[in-house]
Amino acid sequence: MISRVADHCFWFGRYVERAEATARMLGASVSLALDGELPSAHVWRPVIVVSGEQEAFRARIAGGDGEAAAWGDGEVVQRFMVWDEDNGVSLARSIAGMRWNARSIREVLSLEAWEAVNELHLWMRSDGANATYLHHRDGYYQHVRRATQLTLGLLRSTMLHDEPLDFVWLGVLLERVNQTARILDVHHHAFTQRPRGGAGDDVVETALWLSLLRALSGGEAYLKRSAGKISSEGVARFLVSEPAFPRSIAYCVHSAYERLCDVRPPDIADLPGGESVARLRALDEWVAARRNAPLAGDAVHELLTHVVDEVHAICGTLGRELFGAPAPA
Amino acid sequence: MPSRAPRTGAPRRSCIPKKTTSAARRYDARMSPSSSGLFDGYPSLPGTYDEMFDARGARASFQRVAELLATMSADELARAQQIAEAALLQQGVTFSVYGDARGTEKIFPFCLLPRMIAAADFQRLERGLAQRLRALEAFLADIYGEQKILAAGVIPAEMVLGAAGYRPMLRGITPPGGVRIHISGVDLIRDHDGTWRVLEDNLRTPSGVSYVVENRLISKRLFPKIFDAARVHRVDHYPTRLAETMRSVSPVPDGTCVVLTPGTYNSAYFEHSFLARTMGTELVQAPDLFVDGDQVFCRTTRGPKRVDVIYRRTDEAFLDPEVFRPDSVLGVRGLMRAYAAGNVALVNAPGNGIADDKAVYPFVPKMIEFYLGEQPLLEQVQTYVCLFEADRTYVLEHLEEMVVKAVDEAGGYGMLMGPQSTAAERDEFRRRILAEPRRYIAQHRIELSSCPTWIAERGAIEPRRVDLRPYILTSRDGPWVLPGGLTRVALQRGSYVVNSSQGGGSKDTWVLRGTQ
Repeated sequence: MISRVADHCFWFGRYVERAEATARMLGASVSLALDGELPSAHVWRPVIVVSGEQEAFRARIAGGDGEAAAWGDGEVVQRFMVWDEDNGVSLARSIAGMRWNARSIREVLSLEAWEAVNELHLWMRSDGANATYLHHRDGYYQHVRRATQLTLGLLRSTMLHDEPLDFVWLGVLLERVNQTARILDVHHHAFTQRPRGGAGDDVVETALWLSLLRALSGGEAYLKRSAGKISSEGVARFLVSEPAFPRSIAYCVHSAYERLCDVRPPDIADLPGGESVARLRALDEWVAARRNAPLAGDAVHELLTHVVDEVHAICGTLGRELFGAPAPA
Repeated sequence: MPSRAPRTGAPRRSCIPKKTTSAARRYDARMSPSSSGLFDGYPSLPGTYDEMFDARGARASFQRVAELLATMSADELARAQQIAEAALLQQGVTFSVYGDARGTEKIFPFCLLPRMIAAADFQRLERGLAQRLRALEAFLADIYGEQKILAAGVIPAEMVLGAAGYRPMLRGITPPGGVRIHISGVDLIRDHDGTWRVLEDNLRTPSGVSYVVENRLISKRLFPKIFDAARVHRVDHYPTRLAETMRSVSPVPDGTCVVLTPGTYNSAYFEHSFLARTMGTELVQAPDLFVDGDQVFCRTTRGPKRVDVIYRRTDEAFLDPEVFRPDSVLGVRGLMRAYAAGNVALVNAPGNGIADDKAVYPFVPKMIEFYLGEQPLLEQVQTYVCLFEADRTYVLEHLEEMVVKAVDEAGGYGMLMGPQSTAAERDEFRRRILAEPRRYIAQHRIELSSCPTWIAERGAIEPRRVDLRPYILTSRDGPWVLPGGLTRVALQRGSYVVNSSQGGGSKDTWVLRGTQ
């Protein structure tokens, strides 16, 4: 398929997934804050850190102050993550990006998938969306989540399962690897650094891990796998390695590799994309090999950093080899 | 009334009563009981042919539909109109507003009341349009070949050779399949007595056909019973016919066809994407294509792929920076070399601008006689060519009555509507005509026919002026006319300008089937 179209497909997938992940994380954070067991900065600061926008937030929102009240103000953080047009990963920007890419490849999307995207785009700019945001916050995140999930479902149930869908899905999966890795990294760090020893500590700890799992829509799935036992290492291992959980890093990297092999068979040497295939395969094998490695303390951070860096590099290689981006100077 | 205005402009004694109130009362009295209601008090425009009603009520061919429509209430119609607009927005049937940084998109205003054309009327139009296209094809082949028509003195050579649309570098090139005007949209109007006339030919990149298909989907959803009763020709096979037309001119069997768009910010982007989608072809932008060894290739994820037929919606001035505008970023370097070598078909061919030049238009009837040996089946509008001294003098003396148009502009731009103009505007045009007479033509204002139109602000049906753009596809086997077309409607009260850039909207066009 046309390289530019493949590029739009890939980024369309990334934006849909990013919008969904952002909405889910914000919804889970609202719920966690309501439990009132954590200082609100412990709830909201990680949201900014996960998004990778802490520098922009510090400069534009927190008045250059790393400890300002804004970091713990749920309303300020949510406004930044939902509506801020200058925040490249805000919901408004993700949904606009998803719609712009979809419109650029309108001819490859199915009508139903396109309508779902367009409806969400129109809704975001409507008075109704604003009113829902103000008066029924959870309903607002739910609306975005459902609309993006509907889009992902319609893509699979109404489009040809060939190259365009493979590229969309490649984008979805690599974005998902990133989201899972970043959420786990930030929260794992914050939770394990928490001072402990108080009464009811176990209850709080359990609530925190469950909230993290909920942000990745993996609460019940985890409990099924762990027979109800909640531990820091157990949650980390589940999110990194569980082969049957569709948001685990191992699952997403492996599926992404399979999608890439469909569009670029590894055994045909003279096609563009050889480096991307080799690099993604290497990451897949690397993650699989860590299935039983200890996951405590810094080991988690090191593992996740490697994953995030590699995904970043693979996206660059895909751009050069398959999407027609110019090689770096 | 102007002394030299035969056939056009000057309304003869009208068959429609001048007083709108008495006209309305007359409808009441004469329409069958079931058709009173929605069209009560419909005020016909004096001196104007109405598409749906004559002085006795609904025209015979449209009686049944008028009766069914009239059973609807104004509330129902208002609701249906809202549903239609919401559906168009939801589906993204929109155009980008130029110069809007936020990328605002709007729907093309749509009136849900259909414009109907009787079967016999359309059959005559079909024959006339096919004849016209055959003559225009012959003209282009001749102008980019032997130029016999100029040698014979049928058209003044300066009229053609000096025109901006004439591309001397294309002379001697025969396009693949021998076709140049694969897709055309010939704008037709009806004058005060209902006579169809060609207003202009669009032979370069006519747009609007996607709205024909989309408007039809809406009509079928909103008025299923009425639509069924009306027995309307389908229009949704247009993309299939277009794909066949493109394949028919491919330089190689089973060639690869693509649609080339200037990009998502182009106001007609929806249509470009619509056409690619409904034909199952790729939609490409200029940077996706490159030329190597006089062959056109597309950059794909599996390396270069050959392209054989390009339906290009990029203006030809921007097509190839090697040949046309060197500053074009929308172009493909070397495209014209590949075209000249016969390795790629361009749809439509470059160079067609000479045939739809507004100053060449007055000579089309003569072309039909010259190339086909036939009498023209379609009327035109009497046109004054400012290059000719007698015509120019007449135009300058009658500016207040005339519509003056720049020959190389479209979309309702570069126009003087004499009867609505100010003295300053007329002076400006007088200056322009004297400076560049070749660039201007003039016509008397035609009382464009009207059509009942839903006016949401007033919650009422009022007459608004319309034109018709039928679409003609020409393959190796000759022209084919889509039984339908884009009816554009001047939504502003009293307006004669139907262009979307000037406050125009569209209607679904129902070409009725003949009786078996």
